[in-house]
Amino acid sequence: MSPGPRVGIIGTGFMGTTHAAAWHAIGATPSAFLDRQGADDALPRQYGAEVFTELDAFLGAVDVVDICAPTHLHADLALAAAAAGKPTLCEKPLSLDVAEGMRVIDAFDRASVPLQVAHLLRFSPEYRAVRDAVVNGEIGRPAVLRLSRLSFAPDRGADSWFADESRSGGLFFDLMIHDLDYARWVAGDVVSVYARSVGGAKDHGIAILKHASGAITHVEASWANPAPVFRTLLEVAGSRGMITFSSDNTSPLTLRLHKKAEDVTTGLGDVALAANPFEVELQHFLDVVAGARQPVLTALDGLAAVQLADAARRSARTGQPVSISPLGGGA
Amino acid sequence: MARIGILGVAHLHVDAYIENLRAAGADVVGVHDRDPERGQRWAADNGLTHFRTAGELLSQGIDGVVVCAETAYHRELVEQAAAAGAAVLCEKPLGVSHEDSDAIVNACERAGVSLMTAFPVRFSPAVRQIRDMVAAGDLGALRAFSGTNQSVMPIHERSWFVDPALAGGGAMMDHIVHLADIFTWMVGAAPTEVYAVGNRIVHAEMVTVETAGLVMLTYPNGVFASIDCSWDRPFNYPSWGGIALSVVADGGTVDVDPLNQQLTRFGGSPAYGWIPWGLDTNQFMIDEFLAAIDERRQPSVTGRDGLIATKIALAAMESAATGAPVTLAD
Repeated sequence: MSPGPRVGIIGTGFMGTTHAAAWHAIGATPSAFLDRQGADDALPRQYGAEVFTELDAFLGAVDVVDICAPTHLHADLALAAAAAGKPTLCEKPLSLDVAEGMRVIDAFDRASVPLQVAHLLRFSPEYRAVRDAVVNGEIGRPAVLRLSRLSFAPDRGADSWFADESRSGGLFFDLMIHDLDYARWVAGDVVSVYARSVGGAKDHGIAILKHASGAITHVEASWANPAPVFRTLLEVAGSRGMITFSSDNTSPLTLRLHKKAEDVTTGLGDVALAANPFEVELQHFLDVVAGARQPVLTALDGLAAVQLADAARRSARTGQPVSISPLGGGA
Repeated sequence: MARIGILGVAHLHVDAYIENLRAAGADVVGVHDRDPERGQRWAADNGLTHFRTAGELLSQGIDGVVVCAETAYHRELVEQAAAAGAAVLCEKPLGVSHEDSDAIVNACERAGVSLMTAFPVRFSPAVRQIRDMVAAGDLGALRAFSGTNQSVMPIHERSWFVDPALAGGGAMMDHIVHLADIFTWMVGAAPTEVYAVGNRIVHAEMVTVETAGLVMLTYPNGVFASIDCSWDRPFNYPSWGGIALSVVADGGTVDVDPLNQQLTRFGGSPAYGWIPWGLDTNQFMIDEFLAAIDERRQPSVTGRDGLIATKIALAAMESAATGAPVTLAD
């Protein structure tokens, strides 16, 4: 068996840690981490990986790049990876604005290497099962979608990049973007977005989408709950039937312990209790890099999600619906 | 005991209201329906006298009427009842247009009779508990609501619901008003703006009206509230549909599902079903209507409340048609 590609992860925070475990689980243990602050080498040591503090040296030491850095750094890091000709998996969102994201996509096109944006729902078993049922015509033509992601406010410190909307993108870019991408995957391109949000750390937002197909979607994203609440709800009603899903009543495990709950900083859901979507996502990326599979989502799909998040944020600010113009291409 | 007349049996809720009226001890004097055959059949089924005209029924010394005609006929019946001095309980929505809805409220105010809008959700113990918590400040500042009032398309029970001339629209006219009223009640003020989208994908081949809708209301203090009013449950769904809402406030979040008190049944025909065991909110609503007559006071849910909710539904239809938010006048 030939050795797999050398995997390098940029970032050693929450998502870097989560991805590292998933890479390890699929037999592609990361060989390098980039941590420009060189703050803590506990995570790299766990996998026997080398720690780099310089981007160029890191890129020279890996075959594929996994960007798990704070959101505002995604685009520049991706551009560097493209320039080095490295296939790249980039955490969502691809970028904080559409023009910046388009530059990234152009760079990967020129380099002719794959770029996959980590829209996890495309690999989550329950969301895939719903999409498969819709594609198979089990409920007819989609008419109304309801997608909810209801969490507590992630606590990464008041001074962190996450607490700064100019660096994280806020609720629409960080949380709602999952369901915005999923709505497009199930019901097709979106033609207009109308949204409202509460604002602040405990933000709560609702967006109403109109699809070119005529379908309409209600998307709700929340950081207004007390920890450790993390719930996902889904409903697709079609011309011949409907499908619903709720994380409230589909967990195979319910714990009621007398000890105090472990402190959590970010909600993730029951990812370890079914096919782990991170592992499926990473394996898919490797298969695409190896030329063994067509991508489940293109880089343009990742950009379309950025476009919807941007439209939702603008609509919430202006109070007006925002029209979506086609980006061209996409899966 | 109050002498009650029933004006119109088009609305399916009338079948429940007659039981509620009798349970409350009301003296139900008779019924009028513009379709004499339908009216006589319903009267016979319920052991009542059918009157050929509303005027004949209203001349029997009536204290109050329950208006369950097609929405388009609400106005003429309410105007006659008000002129006869009868208190009115009117099905929702009040009218099919702004003009009709205003006229209904004005006729009752001019005649000095009370007008109640049929909003039984107001009487749900779960809804009341949350409203009391909001009013007492127990939840902190309100920020947002989302609500669903989805159902099977009500074409088999009463086909006029899908006739735009009689109902004023489809799913939007049918299913926006209940939640619009609850949100407005909790906020304590009417919304200033309404945005909506709709479509006709479910049952596109059967009807000409919209069968799905998503609505966003914006209140003066920045609170926003969404409503899903879709007729998107399949015809073999285990119940007519449901109503539920979520509240986001500084103190936390709340989910309210007033119809969640139900058993799950397997086997039999159909092979899966729900059996409700919660309280009958229609009974509480009818009790309040009769108590207001008895005590010569306004009911707790007024015609003005119904007018605001109806205007929200009409604004949603307008917004869905134009694609732009609609500003609500005071």
